[in-house]
Amino acid sequence: MVSTVQNTDIEQKDAEHAVVVAMTFKAVFGSDDGDDVYGAGVAFTLLQALQTVNERLLLENPSEMLLFDIILITTDRQQQQQSDRIMSSTRHHGLQIHRFCFSCEDDFTDSLLQNKVHLFLSTDKNETVQAASRGVLSALVDHQTTLCSSQQLKVVFCGDSIVQPDADINAASRQAAEVFSAQLGEMRRRFGALDSPLSIVVMTSSGGRDSCCSALRTLRTRGLSVDEAHCLAGAPRGIILSVLRPHFQLSDGLSGLQD
Amino acid sequence: MSEIKPTDAAVPDEKEEEKDWAAAKAFFDNLKTHKPRPPKPRYAVTIAVSSRTLFDMTAERKIYEEEGVEKYVSYQVEHEQEPLNPGPAFPFVKALMNVNSRLRELYPDSEELFDIVLMTNNHAQVGVRLINSINHYDLTIERFCMTGGNSPIGYLKAYMTNLYLSKSADKVTEAIEEGIAAATMFMPDKEIELSDTQLRVAFDGDAVLFSDESEIIVKQHGLDTFFEHEKEFENKPLAQGPLKCFLEALGKLQRKFYAKNERMNCPIRTFLVTARSAASSGARVLKTLRSWGLEVDEALFLAGAPKGPLLQKIKPHIFFDDQMFHIEGAKEMGTISAHVPYGIGQKYHRGKLIEQPPKNE
Repeated sequence: MVSTVQNTDIEQKDAEHAVVVAMTFKAVFGSDDGDDVYGAGVAFTLLQALQTVNERLLLENPSEMLLFDIILITTDRQQQQQSDRIMSSTRHHGLQIHRFCFSCEDDFTDSLLQNKVHLFLSTDKNETVQAASRGVLSALVDHQTTLCSSQQLKVVFCGDSIVQPDADINAASRQAAEVFSAQLGEMRRRFGALDSPLSIVVMTSSGGRDSCCSALRTLRTRGLSVDEAHCLAGAPRGIILSVLRPHFQLSDGLSGLQD
Repeated sequence: MSEIKPTDAAVPDEKEEEKDWAAAKAFFDNLKTHKPRPPKPRYAVTIAVSSRTLFDMTAERKIYEEEGVEKYVSYQVEHEQEPLNPGPAFPFVKALMNVNSRLRELYPDSEELFDIVLMTNNHAQVGVRLINSINHYDLTIERFCMTGGNSPIGYLKAYMTNLYLSKSADKVTEAIEEGIAAATMFMPDKEIELSDTQLRVAFDGDAVLFSDESEIIVKQHGLDTFFEHEKEFENKPLAQGPLKCFLEALGKLQRKFYAKNERMNCPIRTFLVTARSAASSGARVLKTLRSWGLEVDEALFLAGAPKGPLLQKIKPHIFFDDQMFHIEGAKEMGTISAHVPYGIGQKYHRGKLIEQPPKNE
């Protein structure tokens, strides 16, 4: 059973033109400490970064409609029952969450589809795999996300999966990735080369320079102009990521989520 | 100063490292073109070169400075299919590639090789032209960081860089302050023919291989005091300079050739080119090197004579010096020079203390 409630404290986005991002309860608020108000979860800086992008987009064009539309989604019954606390905690922290989707475990992927979610973010790998299998672009957020900037949203596209797509990937998943790339590309074009609140990164882990170049070109054809490119060719990824500090990483297929 | 591999980097997750490594190995092994796969960073001698040292981008740089970054990026994208001309680090890179071929012949399974990484501030859109140019010359550069305007320093550390070459004095200074050997490269005024079978690297002594402690004495107390001091402390090793670890890394690779009886045919040759004189202040330098367990193949003591003519005979692929005076002299006579912005020499110009505070870039 799903119910969607609007956050009346903030202005709603036009869902037809917006980029709909759904985040799980756990990502936004972490665990339940039993306090009246929930504490910050790992995705706090990510939320702030999405907010920054929206603010900057509106600065460039006050009637901009291509904005991030943010949904908080619960994925189990227990969370579903805490709807009041969730809404009051959101208010307490001043979070720009536009809608709440109180869903239970069985059908949370249904509500993703119903709400035409373009990007689903969770701290739980199983949830991301589930969502991806239904054709919703998904990414993991974890404790590394807390160290990211709140002033600039940094998204990493895993180049290896663009160049050598996973054989298991379904058409809906691939399309979701392409749609999101195009939307992000459109958003990125609203800003100049420097001082952009949105930074697009391509990283290839195992391929050589031609793999990375190929990924850059492919994203270009999707309308996405990349800012940073890192070709590792087998160099350890962890340490590069700790310098890069992306908010999340995207790959075209499920394979990226297995790492 | 820095160890050969800086150890203050975050502790890597070994299992994940091995997985990344295995995937890359599989990728390169399966390539039809038989391109050699890049070595494991922790065992390699990593040389990071910027785009403007690898290629000649003077015209493009002019567009960037006069018309701004947007025009610059679109110009580069428009001319993507046109390969760039070689820059000051190009001959050095080719020489490194040659050493790698020789090393692979003798030690087919070793990861102790040169690893050349392109480390540039450029946006990835400009990167396509850079990769096309690398392909055009068939350079073995498989790793790169295009930081889209962000500082490369963090990435230099992440790659365990042994030497960073750039045209930006600011970035080079920052790298040296972080303990990474670095130098600002200059294109020589004329072209001279360099060896294509042997990598030849020339180093100044004070404030390059060694600290600037003795140079401070010269600048502040004059030459006579300097000679006395050096004689008195002949047996006390000088402290390390920013490029000592790079000489050490070269020495390690040289010994791999000696071990296989290739000393006469070694494709790496190192030179010390110092203004010190052999008689009065040279001994301390040689004793210091010995105390570090390092060698240079040839030590040239100029006793204050200009370095330009001698370097013209040596024909190094790169010459490191801390004083712009020597860099300019070498450059005029066709030597590819690299300025190491370290020590007291930066506060002086042609022997006179620079009065104004340094320019803020």
